[in-house]
Amino acid sequence: MGKFKSIKLLIILAIFMVFVAACSSNEGASGDGDKKKDDKDIQVVFIPKMTGNAFFESGNDGAQEMAKKVGFKVKYDGAPEGTVANQVQIINSAVNSGADAIAISSVSSDGLNQALKKALDAGIKVVTWDSDVDPKFRSVYVNQGTPEILGEMLVEMAAEQMDNPDDAKKIAWFYSSPTVPDQNSWVEYANKYIKEKYPKWEIVTTQFGDANEQKSLQVGESILDSYPDVDAIICPDSTALPAMAQAAENKGLNAEDVIITGFASPNSMRQFIENGTIKNHGLWDVKDQGALAVYTAYWLAKGNDLKVGDSIDVPDMGSVKLEANSIQGYDYTADDSGIMVLPERIVFTKDNTNDYNF
Amino acid sequence: MLNKIPKWNLTLFILIISEIIVFGMINPRFWNVTILLNSFNDFISVAIIGFFVTMVVITGGIDISGVSIIGLTSVVTGLLSQVVGINIWVSILCAILIGGLCGLLNGVLIAYGRVQAMVITLGGMLLYSGIAIVLVGLSDVSTYEGISGFPEGFSQIANGEVMGIPNSVILFIVMFFIAYILLHRTRFGRYIYLTGINQNTAEYSGINTKKIIAATYFLSGLSAGIAGVVLTSYLGSARSDYGAEYLMPILTVVVLGGTLITGGKGGVIGTALASIILGFMQIGLQMAGVSTQYIGLATGVLLIVSVAFLGINPDFRFNVRRIFTQKQNIGG
Repeated sequence: MGKFKSIKLLIILAIFMVFVAACSSNEGASGDGDKKKDDKDIQVVFIPKMTGNAFFESGNDGAQEMAKKVGFKVKYDGAPEGTVANQVQIINSAVNSGADAIAISSVSSDGLNQALKKALDAGIKVVTWDSDVDPKFRSVYVNQGTPEILGEMLVEMAAEQMDNPDDAKKIAWFYSSPTVPDQNSWVEYANKYIKEKYPKWEIVTTQFGDANEQKSLQVGESILDSYPDVDAIICPDSTALPAMAQAAENKGLNAEDVIITGFASPNSMRQFIENGTIKNHGLWDVKDQGALAVYTAYWLAKGNDLKVGDSIDVPDMGSVKLEANSIQGYDYTADDSGIMVLPERIVFTKDNTNDYNF
Repeated sequence: MLNKIPKWNLTLFILIISEIIVFGMINPRFWNVTILLNSFNDFISVAIIGFFVTMVVITGGIDISGVSIIGLTSVVTGLLSQVVGINIWVSILCAILIGGLCGLLNGVLIAYGRVQAMVITLGGMLLYSGIAIVLVGLSDVSTYEGISGFPEGFSQIANGEVMGIPNSVILFIVMFFIAYILLHRTRFGRYIYLTGINQNTAEYSGINTKKIIAATYFLSGLSAGIAGVVLTSYLGSARSDYGAEYLMPILTVVVLGGTLITGGKGGVIGTALASIILGFMQIGLQMAGVSTQYIGLATGVLLIVSVAFLGINPDFRFNVRRIFTQKQNIGG
C-alpha cells in the first residue's frame, strides 16, 4: 500500500511541475518601464495599516477621488488585522499582479524591508504615507507634518486652553508605545519646545497604551488617579486620546478640571467635544494625505523624475515640494528619496468638528 | 493506475489545475512560475503545521495552540539571538525545541490526563501567546515593533533559493516527505490510524495509545516551532503576534485535505494539496483584483463546502434524498 502511494505521489508532483512549467512561457519579461504609459493603465495599490478603521477608510476616499479626477486606477488593499505578515503578503501580491506603484502606511518601521526591496527590484515605485519605513526602501514619504510642526502644535493646543500658560503646570504624555517612530519624534520635539517656551512646565509622567483600547482606558484612569493635580494630558495617538477622554468622563471630569488634547479623528472625538469633556484636538486632513500619496505614486509610475528640491503640481492642492529626508531626522539621504509635508493641519473645536467626516 | 488514487485527492488536484487555468485567464501573470513558486512563502507556515495537525486530527484530537507557538518561537529566536547574544542557529534550535515542549505539555495533559483536546489546546493557545508577550515585555522591546536586526544568513532561510527554486518550496517538500513517511510508511503512522479508529481496541491489541497521542502533539508543537522560525526569517523581525490569523487556514487545509475531524481517516497528501489550493486561491483572488479583506470569505466557503462534502454521514444524505423525493411526489 505504501509503495503505491509514494509512486502516485511522485507522479502527482511531476505532473504538477510539468504543468506549471508548461504554463509559464515567457510571461515575466513584459517589458514595462521604458515607455510612458497611458493614465488609465497605471495602477496604484493603496495600502492602509488595517481596514475597517475610519482614519484609513477616509484616506482611501481621498485617494479614490484623486484617481477619478486624474484618470488612473487605485486599488485599495488591506487586511482587517494590521499585522506585518498581512502587509508583506499584500505587497507581494501587488508586485505579482503587476501594479505600477504602491502607497503604503506601514505597521512596522523595518518589518517590510525585504518585501519592499523585492517591489523596488521589480521596478515598482514605493510611496509611504502616515507611517514611514526605512527611507532606503521608498521614494517619497507623504508626511502629516515634521516633528517641529506637530510637536509645537500639540503644546500650543494645550497652552491656548490655559489662563496663564507661563505659570508652573503639570503635564502628562500618553501615547501608544515607547518605540513607535512618529509619535516619539513629535513628543521629543515638543519637550524641547516646552523647555524653551514654557520653562516652568513640568512633565510628571509619560504613559503608553499600546494602541489597545482597553489598556488605554486603564492607563488613562490610572493617570488621573496617580496625578490628581495634573493640568494637561496630551495624547498624540488616535487610540489614547478617545480612551483618555472616556476615562475623564467616567470620573466626572470636564475640560475645566483637566485639559485633554492630542491627535485623533474628529469622528472619534465629537461626542467628547459636544459634552464638554475636551475643548480641542488636532489632526491633518487624511483625505488630502491619501490623495497626495496616490498622486505622487502615479506621478512617479508615469516615469517622471522627482528629485529633492523639485515641486509637483497636485490638482486642487497646488504645488508641493519634495524636501530632504533630514527634516524627519533621518541619516539616509539620496537624490530620489525625500519627504513631502502635507500643506495644512486642522485643530478641531466645537465650531468646526461637524464639517469633517473621518 | 488512476483508480489507485483516492478520489478526494484527485478532486483536489483537479481543483489546483482549474485554479491555475482560471486565475491565469483573469491575470496572465499568474502563469509565471517564479510568482507561483514564490507564493509558497505566504502559506508555508500553514502547510507545515497542517501536516502535523493532520496526525493529531487522525488520532481523534485537535490542536489549535500551534498559532501561538508560532509567536512564542519567533520571540524566543529573537530574544536569544539579539538580546542574549547566542549564535543564531543555536537560538533557532532552542526555539524549535521549546515549540516541541509546548506541544508535549499539551499531549501529556490530553493523553494521560484524559482532558478534552479542545480545552487543553485552547488553554495552551492563550498560555503560550501570554508567555510570548511577557518575554517581550521583560526584554524592554516594544511588542508593537518587535525584535529585528537578524543576520543576512537568517533571512536567507525563507527568502533564498537553490537553483532557482525558492527555499520555501524546498522546505514544503521536505516537511511533506517527513510527515508522509512518518504517517504512511512507519509502524508509528499505522498506530496513529488505529488509535483514531478505536482507541480501546488499539489499546487492547497492545498499542500504547497514550504515548502515540502525546507524540502527535509533540510533533505538532515542533512543526509550529519550525513555522515560527520560517515566518520570522521571512518577515525579518520577531514579534509575538505572528501566526495569530492562521488558526482558520490551518483547520481548513486539514479538513479540506480529506481528514475526518472525528479521526481515523485522512492523510498528508490531501493536506499538502489543500494548502496549495488555499495559497493559490489567496494570491489568485488578489491578482484578480479582489481586496484582501474579502478573501477570508472564500476561505470560509471552502471550509464549509469541504465539511459538507466529507463530514455528512450517509444517514443525512439518505434523509436529504427522501425530502427531495417526497417533494417530487407531492408535486407530481
